[in-house]
Amino acid sequence: MSTAMPSAHAHAEHGHTPFLQHHFREMSQQFDAAKIGMWLFLVTEVLLFGGLFVGYGIMHARHPEAFVAAHHHLDKTLGALNTVVLLVSSFTMVLSVWAAQTSRKKLLILFLLLTLLCAGIFMVVKYFEYSHKFHEGLLPGKYYSHKGDTVPGQFMFFSFYFMMTGLHGIHVLLGMVAIAWLVFRAMKGHFSSEYYSPVEITGLYWHLVDLIWIYLFPLMYLIS
Amino acid sequence: MSHVNEHAHPITGPKTYALVLLALLILTVITVQASYFDFGAWNTVVALLIASAKGSLVALYFMHLRHDKFNAVIFVGGLLFLAIFLIWTLFDIATRQPVLPSNLKAPVQEFPGAPLGGPVRPSTGQPRGMPAQ
Repeated sequence: MSTAMPSAHAHAEHGHTPFLQHHFREMSQQFDAAKIGMWLFLVTEVLLFGGLFVGYGIMHARHPEAFVAAHHHLDKTLGALNTVVLLVSSFTMVLSVWAAQTSRKKLLILFLLLTLLCAGIFMVVKYFEYSHKFHEGLLPGKYYSHKGDTVPGQFMFFSFYFMMTGLHGIHVLLGMVAIAWLVFRAMKGHFSSEYYSPVEITGLYWHLVDLIWIYLFPLMYLIS
Repeated sequence: MSHVNEHAHPITGPKTYALVLLALLILTVITVQASYFDFGAWNTVVALLIASAKGSLVALYFMHLRHDKFNAVIFVGGLLFLAIFLIWTLFDIATRQPVLPSNLKAPVQEFPGAPLGGPVRPSTGQPRGMPAQ
C-alpha cells in the first residue's frame, strides 16, 4: 500500500502527481506493483480461511447428524439478509473504484460511505445473531451449555461457526477501518484517474471478504 | 516506456456492475431455494457449485480479473493449493476404516526369528524403541 504522502514540491519537477514514489518509474508501474502485493496477500488470506474450511469439511464428514441438527439453531433469514447486504456493499465498493477511475470525487465519497453503511448493517445483524447464541448457550467447545439436545456433539458445529464467522467479522471490521481511511483521503482530494491504487486494492480486499462470506453462508446456514 | 493508463486498465461502467449484482442476488435466491430440496449426497456439492458461480462473478467483474491475467494466475494458483489441501484430506477421511478386530491383519513375522506382530529393528531383531546394541 502506498501510504507515504510526499510533499507536492519534492516531486513537482518530475511533472508527476505527488503520489508517485521515487522508486517507481511511473504511475502505472506503481499501481501494478500495489495490486500484485495485494493479490499475494489475498492468496494468504484464502489459505488462512482454507485451513478452517478443510477442518469444517472433516468434521462435517465425520459427524453429519450433529452438524445438521446444530445448523437449525441459525436463522436462515438473517444469514440471507447479511449475504444481500455484503453483495450490495461489494457493488458500492466497485462503484467507488469506478468513481475514482473517472475522477468523480463526490460520488467516490458517497459510494465509500454507502459501503461503510452496509458493513455496519452486517455487523449489527451479526451482533444480534451472536447475542442470541450467547443467550442460548450455543457456544464453542466446552462452553456449550444448550439444554435439551437430542443429537450429541453439536458443540463442534459452533466451534467452527464462531471461529469462521468471527475471523470473517474481524476482516469486516478491518475493512471498515480501511474504507474510513479512504473516505478521509478522498475528502482531501487525493484520488483521481491519475492515482487511485488505495481505492482499488482496498476494493480487492473488500471483495475477498465478500467472497469468503459467499462460501460461509451455504456451509453454515443451508446444510441439510 | 509511456503506455497510456486507460489501455492497461480498461474501465467498466456502472451498468455492467449493476447487472452482475442482479445476477448475484438471483443466485442467492436460488441457493436458498435449493436448500429446501433434497439432492441427497449432492446437497453440499450443489451449494458449493452455486457459491462458486457467485464467487467467479465477484472475482471476474468486481475484482477485475477478466482484464488482469497476471493476478488471475496468482489467485488461481492459490486456489489450486487449497484444492490439493482439501481433496487429499477428504481422500483420507473417505477411505478410513474403523479399527475393528476383523479389520486387523494377522500378526506377521518381519523375518525369521523376529517377535510376532511387533515392530523390530531389522538390523538387530530387537524390538523398536530399545537402545541400539
